[in-house]
Amino acid sequence: MKAAPFVRLALWTLVAAFVLWPDLFAPLLRPLAPDGMPVIYDRARLADLTLWHLGLVVAAIIPSALLATALAILVTRPSGAEFLPLARALGGFGQTFPPVAVLALAVPVVGFGAWPTLIALFLYGLLPVLENALAGLSGVPRAVMLAADGMGMTPRQRLWRVELPLAAPLMVEGVRISTVIAISTAAIGSTVAAPGLGEVIIAGLNANNLAFVVQGGLLTAALALIVHDALGLAAHALKAHRRVTVAG
Amino acid sequence: MIELRSVSKVYDGVAVVDDVTLTLERGTLTAVVGTSGSGKSTLLRMVNRLVEPTSGQVLIDGAYTAVIAAPELRRKIGYVIQDHGLFPHWTAARNIGTVPVLLGWRRADVRSRVRELMEMLQLDPDVIGPRFPHELSGGQAQRVGVARALAARPELLLMDEPFGALDPVIRAQAQADLHRVQRRLGTTVILVTHDMAEAIRLADRIAVMRAGRIEQFAPPADIIAKPATPFVAELLGEGDRAFRYLSLKPAADVARPDGAAEGAADGPVLPGHATMAEALSEMIWTGRDRVRIANPDGDPGIVTREALIRAGRPE
Repeated sequence: MKAAPFVRLALWTLVAAFVLWPDLFAPLLRPLAPDGMPVIYDRARLADLTLWHLGLVVAAIIPSALLATALAILVTRPSGAEFLPLARALGGFGQTFPPVAVLALAVPVVGFGAWPTLIALFLYGLLPVLENALAGLSGVPRAVMLAADGMGMTPRQRLWRVELPLAAPLMVEGVRISTVIAISTAAIGSTVAAPGLGEVIIAGLNANNLAFVVQGGLLTAALALIVHDALGLAAHALKAHRRVTVAG
Repeated sequence: MIELRSVSKVYDGVAVVDDVTLTLERGTLTAVVGTSGSGKSTLLRMVNRLVEPTSGQVLIDGAYTAVIAAPELRRKIGYVIQDHGLFPHWTAARNIGTVPVLLGWRRADVRSRVRELMEMLQLDPDVIGPRFPHELSGGQAQRVGVARALAARPELLLMDEPFGALDPVIRAQAQADLHRVQRRLGTTVILVTHDMAEAIRLADRIAVMRAGRIEQFAPPADIIAKPATPFVAELLGEGDRAFRYLSLKPAADVARPDGAAEGAADGPVLPGHATMAEALSEMIWTGRDRVRIANPDGDPGIVTREALIRAGRPE
């Protein structure tokens, strides 16, 4: 584990350098590009595409996570308990739908561009957050709930002071899964003209330029790794003092 | 004073608590004893409205609890549960301060109250205070649970099998602590337990429950001397009756001045608060028929075997 901070720093530095000064890496990619073709994608700056990519993910995941968390809270209240199976079914349904199908269905309705991708990412983000939030909220030990009520907490106080803090590590875990999936799914969005790193991959496939495919693919993968790692750290920090059983 | 008037709780047509009427005097410790499923925990939870009675009323000092908002009512009533139910994400100190914080006490007041309670329960505030529940031993967690229940100076304390998860040595210590704290604060306590010995040791009055009904409600000595039903007798354990009875009475009651006894006793001197059961046990173990017992007013007194055996049978 002692190596982790160095690996983390190295990854960040490498990605930042690649995004800001991609020409530095041109010699490495040169063998992959056909003769006479550009080695580094030149129709847009990689830095801009990376920001667009992350921007799409964040713009979709934040409302998705909020909605899924709100749903999870709602169906774990006594008044909403009867909707618990429905919420699970809806979340599961969203997940069984392939991303490409969501894009294909959304284009006729909202047109080409960022919107179909946002919709797909939003839908795909729901289930992992919902499932984890449900597991977290229903995993609070009975004795703890009884104590919260017995001490005289109102239902709202119990939610904010006890249930959510105890469920938080699992919820962050759900957001982490959603975000990583969204980073890779967003690349597919470029097939319907969403700006992002997928553009580089698709341009490479069209022009038979492996250098483009590799730089687009590696950057997307690196982003996913960085976000996975960062949210993992956040989840760990949240449960540093908790019993292991809460996460079980 | 706590009054339960014809309180019942019905789940799916089955009365878990069936028409229970009890009056508990202020400052006393009442034990509710029964086997599992007897409705004793449900009865307890109807006092702080964690369970709403199907019918009947609960009154505290003459006030109907049903008209007080439940959270407000519960903040005035201490509550200790089995497995302590401490909040795992809060330190011991923050757990203890739960109710004062809910009541909006000033921070400094909460802090000093937490220290005061931890000291009363022999928990070092600087060592135990910052620890999280999973870093505490079973006995420490149990005491933190009691401190949390007492934090807002409730006049009534409800305890639901509070010692159930403790090993025998720590359990005896915890029972002694409760006895001391209850006498010192004058808190009215309702203790739910399945352990008759625990009830006899701690309670001023015992309510024996079976299938939702009270079979007998009486002081421990009366329960032992005159069990009202075969079930009460069975809970007592027929074989232990005499010893249980002797364990309630101080040996000093039958002690005579040393000189009056024919033939002086030797051997160790029992402490003045020793019970008749302890005196008899000492005789059996050391093969004597008389033991000495400390007397704060003068020379040790003498307790004879005949005196104990006479006293061990209720008239």
